[in-house]
Amino acid sequence: MAWFGAALLFLLLSLTLALGGAVGPSDWSRGVGLAGVHLFTLGWLCLAMLGALIQFVPVLAARPPVLPVLALPALLAGIGGTVALATGFLWLDGHEAVRGAFLVAPVLLAVAFGLAAAMIVPLLLVRASHKLAEVQLALVALAALWASGAAMTYNLSGIDLMPAFLPDGLGLHVLLGVAGWLSLAAFGVSYTLFAMFLLAPEGGAALRLAVRLAAGLTLGLILLAGMLLLVQGVVPAVLLWCLTALLPAVVALYLAEVARIWRLRRRADPEGNMRWSRVALAFLGLAALLAGPALWLGGRWAEAAIFVALVGWLSLLTLAQMVKIVSFLTWIQVFAPLIGRAPVPLVHHLTDPRATTRWLSLWGGGGAVGGLALLLVQPLVFRLSVAALLLAALGLGAELVAIRRLSHLDPQKRPATLPPVIFPAPDKRSAHDHARTA
Amino acid sequence: MAITLQDQIEDRLRGVQDPETGRDLIAMGMIYDIRVLGDRAEIDMTTTTRGCPMADMLRLGVEAAVLGVEGIRSAEVRLVWEPPWTPARMAPG
Repeated sequence: MAWFGAALLFLLLSLTLALGGAVGPSDWSRGVGLAGVHLFTLGWLCLAMLGALIQFVPVLAARPPVLPVLALPALLAGIGGTVALATGFLWLDGHEAVRGAFLVAPVLLAVAFGLAAAMIVPLLLVRASHKLAEVQLALVALAALWASGAAMTYNLSGIDLMPAFLPDGLGLHVLLGVAGWLSLAAFGVSYTLFAMFLLAPEGGAALRLAVRLAAGLTLGLILLAGMLLLVQGVVPAVLLWCLTALLPAVVALYLAEVARIWRLRRRADPEGNMRWSRVALAFLGLAALLAGPALWLGGRWAEAAIFVALVGWLSLLTLAQMVKIVSFLTWIQVFAPLIGRAPVPLVHHLTDPRATTRWLSLWGGGGAVGGLALLLVQPLVFRLSVAALLLAALGLGAELVAIRRLSHLDPQKRPATLPPVIFPAPDKRSAHDHARTA
Repeated sequence: MAITLQDQIEDRLRGVQDPETGRDLIAMGMIYDIRVLGDRAEIDMTTTTRGCPMADMLRLGVEAAVLGVEGIRSAEVRLVWEPPWTPARMAPG
């Protein structure tokens, strides 16, 4: 919950900066703009994804969490690294005093990612985790993303670790982050979670293997492109052609597998988290269609493709599932000990579907309009779309607090003591709470 | 026909809901076996996924529900994952 709380604060901060004019069509390279972009990608999406992996990889691997004591230092290092990086970017706008923060950010982020990896990787090595192959690829991409980001950060500071990498490596850095780390991690956890939420059989071994192979090949080519850029200073056109074909192919295979799960569901009327995940998947399809023009033409095509992927696909998916995950975890904290002993509400009774739909609709609309505004280079329309996104994020944040406070539940069904909004309540149960004999 | 303790246990478990779907554990196909040996009940149950974070709480809930049946003085509830649960185990409806 603390990961999600921190991520949401970074989301609100990044959108506030964007609404204040930090970014806009063809305007992403100022220090304050880069700060806003990294508050969004690193602070919001990356922290939310790491929190989700720490929470769900043990579930999906059917193993107890590994080294849970590392979660808090990992989160603190992640928050510190994000703040340091965002602050450091302001140095590019002439704020000399913050240069030190720029230099320390990669170190803090290495600590955060390293600690998180120490919790996740051992679970990915057990046999039950073969279904999480995309998460393994995602972590490889995260390592490369960090390396390329650290190289660029030190480049900007005048320390040339990899001289050829900036600015030509920027596209690869973005690809590693959006298509590699964030999207592959989302692919990896979504199969089982979607099947669980839809009450559908997982199966689909052939399609899933195809996704895994195509995704592995794509990531391999991105890494090869990075190495060639370092050694030769240029990415061969043939590699770009391969990526142009592979990126939509991976997405098409993944969407076919999710469509198969959806068709076989036993849940006739899926909940909001899955209905909105479907909209997020449509944005993923759109981003895949824009990938080719983005790779070859760059400029507004690249801006629109990346925006659609970050806001429409990854953020909408995260927000929709966050409502479900927060209500589920809250239910476990409050009501699970009462199972079989007293009447308990259902998980969805903790939510307000109308409020969730209202805010997720606004988010989806903001994402679509913002992407179009970038494609058509319309700064004012883009600013309006950011306002819609900020309003939606505020609404969803309030909704998540309401879920934690059990506000949507009949007052008579609320317990006398509510769980803390962010940090987990200490477990006060003992073996004596559940006597085995009557 | 006399109502057996086994019937009473099954009836009691129909009152324990899966908090996600709202369906009871019997209808979800999560109760694999109910055995009654005198005043002792043994239950084999599963969860919809092996790593389910609620697994132990569901097990304790089933135990509490079974111990609420008159005539049952002790209960052992085992979590089993073979055969694995699939949606095909759900009752129609």
